[in-house]
Amino acid sequence: MTLERYLMVSGGLFLIGIFGALTRRNIIGILMSIELMFNAANINLAAFNHFLHPYGAVGQTVALFTMTIAAAEIVVGLALLLAIYRNTDTTYAEHFNLLKG
Amino acid sequence: MPMLSLIVWAPLAGALIVLMLPKEKVKTIQGVGFLAAGVSLLASLALIPQFDRSLASMQFVEKWSWIPSLNISYFLGVDGLSFPLVLLTTFMSVIALIGSLGISHRVKEYFFWFLALEVGMLGVFMALDLVLFYVFWEITLVPMYFLIGIWGGPRKEFAAIKFFLYTLSGSVFMLLGILAMYFRSAPHTFDMLELMRQQSSWDPRFQILVFLGLYFGLSIKIPAFPFHTWLPLAHVEAPTPISVILAAVLLKMGVYGLLRITYQITPQGFAWFLPALVVIATINIVYGALCALAQTDMKKMVAYSSVNHMGYCLLGIAGMSAPGFSGAILQMINHGIIAGALFLLVGVIYDRAHTRELSAFGGLAVKVPVYAGLMSLTCFASLGLPGLSGFISEFLCFLGAFQQWKWATTISVLGIIATAAFFLRALQKIFLGPLNEKWRDLDDINPRELASLLPLVAIMIWFGVAPSWPLNLMNATVAHLLGK
Amino acid sequence: MIEHAYLIPLIPLAASFIILFGAKEDPHSPLPWVGIAAMFFSFCLAVSVFWDFAVGTLMLPYQHDWRWFSFANSVAGKSFIDSFKIGVYIDPPTAIVLVVVTLVSLMVQIYSLSYMHGDKRFKRYFAFVSFFTAAMLGLVASSNLLVTFMCWELMGVSSYLLIGFWFEREGPCEAQKKAFMTTKLGDSGLYLALLMIYAKVGSFQFPQMQQFFSSGYMPTTAATVIALGVLFGAIGKSAQFPLFIWLPDAMEGPTPGSALIHAATMVAAGIIVVAKLYFIFLAAPLALETAAWVGLATAFLAATMALVTYDIKRVLAFSTVSQLGFMMCALGVGGYTASLFHLTTHAFFKALLFLGAGSVIHAVHTNDMREMGGLSKKMPITFVTMLIGVLAISGFPFLSGYYSKDMILASVWHHNHTMFWILLFSALMTAFYMSRLLFLTFWGNDRDHDKFHHAHESPALITAPLAVLALFSVIAGYGLARDGFVEKIFPTPVLASASVAVEPPSRVSSPEARMPIESSEYSSPIAHHPVEEAELPHWLALSIIGLILGSMMLAFLFYRGPQFQTAAAIRAALAPLVTVLDRRWFLDDIFLWLVAVCDYIAAAMFWFDTNIVDRIFVDGWGLLMRIFSEVSNFIDWNFIDTAVDGFGGLSNDLGIGLRSLVVDGQVQQYLMYAAIAFSLAATLILAR
Repeated sequence: MTLERYLMVSGGLFLIGIFGALTRRNIIGILMSIELMFNAANINLAAFNHFLHPYGAVGQTVALFTMTIAAAEIVVGLALLLAIYRNTDTTYAEHFNLLKG
Repeated sequence: MPMLSLIVWAPLAGALIVLMLPKEKVKTIQGVGFLAAGVSLLASLALIPQFDRSLASMQFVEKWSWIPSLNISYFLGVDGLSFPLVLLTTFMSVIALIGSLGISHRVKEYFFWFLALEVGMLGVFMALDLVLFYVFWEITLVPMYFLIGIWGGPRKEFAAIKFFLYTLSGSVFMLLGILAMYFRSAPHTFDMLELMRQQSSWDPRFQILVFLGLYFGLSIKIPAFPFHTWLPLAHVEAPTPISVILAAVLLKMGVYGLLRITYQITPQGFAWFLPALVVIATINIVYGALCALAQTDMKKMVAYSSVNHMGYCLLGIAGMSAPGFSGAILQMINHGIIAGALFLLVGVIYDRAHTRELSAFGGLAVKVPVYAGLMSLTCFASLGLPGLSGFISEFLCFLGAFQQWKWATTISVLGIIATAAFFLRALQKIFLGPLNEKWRDLDDINPRELASLLPLVAIMIWFGVAPSWPLNLMNATVAHLLGK
Repeated sequence: MIEHAYLIPLIPLAASFIILFGAKEDPHSPLPWVGIAAMFFSFCLAVSVFWDFAVGTLMLPYQHDWRWFSFANSVAGKSFIDSFKIGVYIDPPTAIVLVVVTLVSLMVQIYSLSYMHGDKRFKRYFAFVSFFTAAMLGLVASSNLLVTFMCWELMGVSSYLLIGFWFEREGPCEAQKKAFMTTKLGDSGLYLALLMIYAKVGSFQFPQMQQFFSSGYMPTTAATVIALGVLFGAIGKSAQFPLFIWLPDAMEGPTPGSALIHAATMVAAGIIVVAKLYFIFLAAPLALETAAWVGLATAFLAATMALVTYDIKRVLAFSTVSQLGFMMCALGVGGYTASLFHLTTHAFFKALLFLGAGSVIHAVHTNDMREMGGLSKKMPITFVTMLIGVLAISGFPFLSGYYSKDMILASVWHHNHTMFWILLFSALMTAFYMSRLLFLTFWGNDRDHDKFHHAHESPALITAPLAVLALFSVIAGYGLARDGFVEKIFPTPVLASASVAVEPPSRVSSPEARMPIESSEYSSPIAHHPVEEAELPHWLALSIIGLILGSMMLAFLFYRGPQFQTAAAIRAALAPLVTVLDRRWFLDDIFLWLVAVCDYIAAAMFWFDTNIVDRIFVDGWGLLMRIFSEVSNFIDWNFIDTAVDGFGGLSNDLGIGLRSLVVDGQVQQYLMYAAIAFSLAATLILAR
């Protein structure tokens, strides 16, 4: 197994995530897509750590951090979503256009 | 123990403590204020036995580097010129604090600003580094601005802003002078003693220019004609204790600066200016007295009498002789005591009658004998009655000036008559004649007011009968200043 | 005893403070006795000093000094510590003046016990009197001119307090202010003299100054200026022309207080200070001549004014002014001895007259002599003592005034005959108006029955001092004039005398540098008229007595009869002159006009201050700043700010344009743009 393989997996994962985030109408789906992108980054971290600094654990540690942050981020995101849902009765992204100037 | 630092910074510590107290605890705030000012007073009194009267040099010197890159240092010291003024400041601050007990509006801020003001005043008299001096000089402005602007009379905002801007504009020129001296000195320095040593190599034209810059700043503070008109307004609008401080201490900063900085660092400029100074002094004396004669407001009258009395100081200085300098320093002390007492007394009657119009009163001596007695005594002290403190200092000023300026002194002596005239007229209008029925229920002076006045009266009599104590403090220094 | 002479002024001073602060005000307070006891003590001390001197067991002058205060001084670039001394200097004139002052004050205080009884400020009055006397004693006994000046001023303030004692009324208030201001005007002259003396002599000690002046170090011009300054002070204090205007008004105070002012303290001080500084005058002949003419004018003018006044106290006031004029004139012509002799005798009979007048006023409650008359029946003791006083002041033979006035006339006779005749005329007027006072008050019948009916003899506390003073008025003249004792007490100082052994002046740094001036340059008037000659020719002396008796007779003729028709007729005939005299030669009006001018100047100055100085130097400064700031503001607003606004506006417009193109509020759309931009950027970067 070489580093390229890992990178291709993570790249694919990231593109799927991007695609999902841009095209899904349901916000839950968007959040799940964001999680995919996080995980792509985690794979990268672990892979680079393994191949470039075999005796260090910094990359893995940061990956662990990222997971924690991702979990926290999801919590916030879902809380926001709940609040929005209460006010608008919908979870579809195209209905949210408050930012329109 | 760095006593001078203790004296200067004790009020600041008090001010910070006051700032931390809740504003409802009026008693505690007042207590802390007294404690801080009291520490300053006691520390300055404790210095008296240690002060060597036979030395002309600086004593209790404290010197630490402050901003080394610009050669600025924290440099404190006192000699026979400044030590009496330090004593005056700490003493009058406590007296004014007693007078401040009557303040009931925003007490916390008042005490904070008051203590901050004391820091500035003390610092001015002790600083031996020009930057330090300038910093303290400016520090006095801000508290004064708020003290007049918040606790003052009907036109307080206008008076405060006029006072602040006018004196500030003067000190800008002073700053220019200070900077000029800094860049002229060979290793650039703000050290006054070092500058005094170096000045002999400066050319007269430079000294004159620097002198004019410094004089402009100082003369506004003195106040010397024609820069005196801020004073009546500020006095009239300021609350009583602040008028006391303004007259007793702040005005002295100008004369002190004249003696400490201009006379010693730019002597040639000083000598060049002497003929003008003596004219200004004469105008201050005669014109101030005449303006006071025209007043109907008691406080304004006393304010103009301050213009008149600072004229005596200037006259003594213009004489360029030892009796004149002694007289000028002693006159500063005595005027501080007497004008302070006068403002306190005017405050006493204003608190009761809510008017200061001379013509509104009449015949009060029957109703308020103690107050009438104190007021008469203070007025007589102010008009230079022998046996009370004003006389000796006035006489020394005249003695010093007469040898050099015969005509100016003669005219000034005639000014004494005008001084007597306005004080007698005031006494007559307030106390004598038939009692104005409006004041049938006027109360005599109360114990708090008496407590603030009696020490002043005692000093007036003491210095009038036996002036040797204050004079001995300054003799060596004055002799050194004039001796070559 | 002499070593305790310093107690003579200090004990009354202490007494005055004890009385003032000792207890609450009480119309029946016993504290005045403290003042009387103190004065009695001082009197005894003064008498013992004088007695020791008179019998020859004590050598005067006596001097003792204490250090007072020292101050830095500098002369010609050298500085040193100079010091002033405070102390007593008692020479023979001082010794007797101390006795006179303490005696008169003692009598006045005893008298006042009854006179002021029940006054609501009873106690305060005695404190003032004690203080007043203490100041006078200090002035007389001091060895230092500065201390003398201080006491001089303190006396001014004491007279201020006493004249305005009943300050509830307007009259005393105006009078006290007038007295203080007028004397203060005079004081400025003395003040300048002091400054000049110190500048020249460098000491205020009397012996040093005397040494300096008499040994001729002082140029005549300087001495003249100094002497004129001192004279001006004395003119104010001793109520000489033209500053005598305050003294008649000073009658507003309590009568015994007036007695003190007129007899022993205030007005005598001017003469005494001139006498104490006589050595300066001897070095300045011009000043002496001025003093003589001022005294003469005073003596004459005051006497004329006394002729027409009906207020009993005013008559006495004018007579005081006139008598002081005699003394000043005598000093001016070199009659030092005569002048001080007259001062002494005058103190007794003038105190007597004032206290007598007080007794009369006390009885009839009016000052107007037209409402009195015939009081001799009701008040015999007052009448007899007053009669003695009147005879003494008129110069009736063998009473005290006779000796002293004779001596003054004699010294003037030898100086200048014109002066003599004017002065003699004044003396005759004195006899006339004093007799007039006596006749109007005590003679004839009662003009106001009501007042006459209520009149009664005063109590013993009032009559006893009158009797004592009357006794002295009788004997003082003969007692002192006998065997030339008066010459021993008041020896005329002579120029260049080394009569007093003193240490050399403190600051005559190099006597060689100030060579004595040639003695021909200063000739003293007395040098031409030695003391022995100072006697009148016999024919003149006798005719003077005759003339004085004649003018008393004239007064009797004028003022006899119930309504004194003769006098009224003369008064009507000379109406313009009487008006001038009643208006006091318009001097009061001139003074008031001067005051008004001063007020006007003061108002003008204040206007100048608020409208010109304040406008230019404060508001003008502010205005300049305002203009400057307005200009800055204009530039800032119109140029700099516009540029800033323009930049902001540009960005704004750009943003609005873009927004209308792309924005519809969809987050995913934004993200899409971001992704596209990112990929473009990444492509560009990677493609390089």
